[in-house]
Amino acid sequence: MADLLQQGEAALRQADALLRANGGRAVLLRMPAPPASGNEGEALGLATPQFQEVELTPAVFRKANSTATLLVSASAVKAIVGSLAFDSAAVLFATAAGIDIDGVIYTVDSVVSEQAMGTAYCYSVKLRPS
Amino acid sequence: MQNAKDTFYEVMKSRLAALDPDRTIVVRGATRPAILVEANELALEDPLPDCFRLRWLGVTVDAQSALPLVTQRCEIAYETAGTAINSGMDRGRILSALDADLAQIVNAAPQSAVKTNYAGLAFGQPAVAMKTNVWWSDVAFGAVTQSGATLARTATVDVMSYQEAGEL
Repeated sequence: MADLLQQGEAALRQADALLRANGGRAVLLRMPAPPASGNEGEALGLATPQFQEVELTPAVFRKANSTATLLVSASAVKAIVGSLAFDSAAVLFATAAGIDIDGVIYTVDSVVSEQAMGTAYCYSVKLRPS
Repeated sequence: MQNAKDTFYEVMKSRLAALDPDRTIVVRGATRPAILVEANELALEDPLPDCFRLRWLGVTVDAQSALPLVTQRCEIAYETAGTAINSGMDRGRILSALDADLAQIVNAAPQSAVKTNYAGLAFGQPAVAMKTNVWWSDVAFGAVTQSGATLARTATVDVMSYQEAGEL
C-alpha cells in the first residue's frame, strides 16, 4: 500500500514538473461567491452573484480550431478543493462559472481525471468559448 | 407577467418551507427551500435532484376584458435517485413524497395571492403589493420517466393574472 501511495505521489510530482516544463502557465477559475445573506433578489433573478477568481497553476492550454483543452495539475486542484471545502474536483468544476484564460472566459464542457495508481495527477478539461 | 411569476414562486417557496422545512437545497453555499426558478440561476449541466425546478413555458393573453388576462404555463420538474444510505432503493418513496409536497403546496386553498412587485429588492427596497391577484389551476402530474437509477416527473400548473397598466 505504501508503495502504491508513493508511486501515485511520484506521478503527481512528475506531472507538475512536465506541466511547468511545457508552459506552466496560470489560469483563473471563476467561482460564484455565496449569495449575500437575506438577499432574496438573487432567487428572483434581480441580482447576479459576485464572482471570485482562483488561480490554477501549473496548467497547459491547447487550442485548435474547434477544440480547447486545459491540462491542469491535480495538486493545484486538490488545494482549491480543500480550501473552498468542495466534496470533489468534479463538484468544483461543475460549480465553476468558467475559466478565464488571457481575458477570454471559457465554459467547462467536461473534465477527465488522469490517474496513476489510483491517484489523480492531472485533469484534462475540455473547454468552449462562452 | 414577471410579477405574476415572482409572486407564484414566492408563494410556493413559503408554503414548501412551512409544509416540509427539511426539504432544502444548498445553492452556492446557502441553504434554502428546495424550489427554484431555473431561469434565475446559473446554468448547470446537471439539474439539482430532490428539488422543484420551475420553468415558464407558454403565455396567452386575452385582451377582451378591461384588463388583459394573462395565462402562463409553469412546468415544475423534479427528480430523485433516492438516498445513498439506502443505495437508492427508496427512490420510488422519495418521488411519492415529492409528489405529495407539490400537490399540497399548489392545491392548498387559497389558490390565489395578491400580486406583488419584487423589483425593489434589487435596490434594498421592500416588495410592493399590487392591486390585482394571481391565481392558479390544480397541478397536473405527468408520467414518471426513468433514466438509470433516477426517477423524474414533470408537472404543470396554469397561472393566471390581470396585466396592470405599466406592468412588466
